[in-house]
Amino acid sequence: MAGQSDPHLSIFSAPEVEFLAEDEVIEIVPNIRMESLHMICGDFGPFFPQIAAKVPLWLAVALKRRGKCAIRVPEWMSVERLTQALEAERESPREFQTLPFHYVEISRLLFDHAHDDIPDEYMVRSLIEDIRDVRFHKVETGLESISGRTHAVKLKNLSAMEVNIVRPFIIRTLQAFYKHDSPQMIQQPEATGNRRSQVADRGPRRDLRPR
Amino acid sequence: MEEEPMSVVFQVGANGVGLLDPGSETNNVEKGAKVDLPFWLAHDLYLRQATSINVPACFNQKTRKEIQADAACVDLRMRCPYFYELGCKTVPLVGDKSIGSFLLQAFSSRYKEVLSKSHSTPTTTASKFLPRLTKEETQLFEAAQSSMASFKKWRVGGSRLEKASILGKKRKTTLPIDPPSP
Amino acid sequence: MASGSEPWSSGVAEEDALIGETTDVELLKRAWRNEKAAPEILQFQAALVLRAREQIQLLEGTVEEFVGNGVDDLAVSLYQMDLDRTQFLLRSYLRLRLQKIEKYMIHISKTNLWNRLSEQEQNFAKRCTDIMEKHLEQSVLSRLPFGYQSILKQSISSEEDDMVPEPQLDTFVFCKTRGDVGAFQLDDTGDEMVDLVADDLYVLRYKSIKGLVENGQIDLV
Repeated sequence: MAGQSDPHLSIFSAPEVEFLAEDEVIEIVPNIRMESLHMICGDFGPFFPQIAAKVPLWLAVALKRRGKCAIRVPEWMSVERLTQALEAERESPREFQTLPFHYVEISRLLFDHAHDDIPDEYMVRSLIEDIRDVRFHKVETGLESISGRTHAVKLKNLSAMEVNIVRPFIIRTLQAFYKHDSPQMIQQPEATGNRRSQVADRGPRRDLRPR
Repeated sequence: MEEEPMSVVFQVGANGVGLLDPGSETNNVEKGAKVDLPFWLAHDLYLRQATSINVPACFNQKTRKEIQADAACVDLRMRCPYFYELGCKTVPLVGDKSIGSFLLQAFSSRYKEVLSKSHSTPTTTASKFLPRLTKEETQLFEAAQSSMASFKKWRVGGSRLEKASILGKKRKTTLPIDPPSP
Repeated sequence: MASGSEPWSSGVAEEDALIGETTDVELLKRAWRNEKAAPEILQFQAALVLRAREQIQLLEGTVEEFVGNGVDDLAVSLYQMDLDRTQFLLRSYLRLRLQKIEKYMIHISKTNLWNRLSEQEQNFAKRCTDIMEKHLEQSVLSRLPFGYQSILKQSISSEEDDMVPEPQLDTFVFCKTRGDVGAFQLDDTGDEMVDLVADDLYVLRYKSIKGLVENGQIDLV
């Protein structure tokens, strides 16, 4: 119970985040006939050869591994869309582009289990890497500008895996600033009265501190 | 942290505790004697108004100037491994809130480097930089580094949720799943 | 760039539209995530857990029947995977709560957090506390001088129960709004306001959004 390290700082493991992503729906083209599946997580099928069907990713991967289907790579994973995304990501230093909340996990699962279904696999792989790098760098730059007590940091469109990577650092940093920049610790200038700061939607992080 | 030495001045004479004051020739500590005590004891005696507490050396004006001059590169651990924690706990005891601003300033100018190094630096380069960090900063560094490392491990195909072999066994009973007994 | 209507960027907004169709697995996942990310114990999802157990038992029966009736191996193995996934979620959810209870049992039993536990969890907490008290009593406390024998206090002069671990509500959490919340106050004085719109992702202090987590307006991620 001795509490040097707070276990809540890394609450999800990467495989747990992947587990969550496996419920995302994806399209498959089966090569078999199979009756509808009435599962706890939902109803899927019936399945007919060459007729596309929507299933959760884990189910798609299970069928694919047994050679029973091809997976239709989602549209956002095309070279064209990813190239656009990367460009947009580079052009707007304070915003994250809209990508699936689980884009990192989905793409890895598809690389691992359905690489033969991905056109231009290597290009797609490296585009996704680049996008993740640019976005990660943005988080870092955003964090560098924190300089005092911050009540809220906005990270609209940051994805699940990205959240998981930066969580320990962001939480500890915000806590340190919260503690050191407190009225108990620092002589505050005269009370600021009713100054309110509204959050505008303009960046990966927003420092809501009014002064 | 509570073992960190604090310099205190006894406001009252104390009998029978001469071992606290190496300079004392009797078994007593005299009023006005200046003694180094661990934080926990200094704090307790302060609450009983038996001592007053001096600002620790790592927060005095001279050190502040040195640190402010080159905050990012100063070896803080050498000055006090629990620099921030001790600072926070010292403020109410000495009534000097400028220590608070000093801590904030020191942290602001140092954590960026911790951030950038933790996510990208190979361990060999980090070994030069790590010894300068306080315990608090080291924890920050390690937290960031280990989450990045576990992501990388996952990405190259390392960890996966696996079903524990015991869970494969058929549960024959239909009893509700009780919390296990302690 | 990808527009919001694209299925892959859906996330929360879409879930809300389908609220009637949300499966228990989705609800269980949400409960699991919130429980994992929240520093304190949340309300036990009694009805949901009951439903999940029923569905697990039902499917277990069905799978057994399938095996008996010689239903296609592939379908059986897929059902088994579905079963495994749901069981993993349920077990992990229950286990997480037990871990929190073990850690904060005394604090929980002293506050109205007690009412958030299921009956079985309350029994667990009681037994756990008894055992720990007995153990500390026998191994340490009974040998300490008078005034230092409390399991709750450092010494008789402590005004509060300063030996009882409490969850740190001041910690920061990552959260995603489900729908529009509107202007929301983050501190005691009202100097810090934030406008929470649907599908936003924020890092905020748990204390300030505790209410939103409890009434389901915001999800921890």
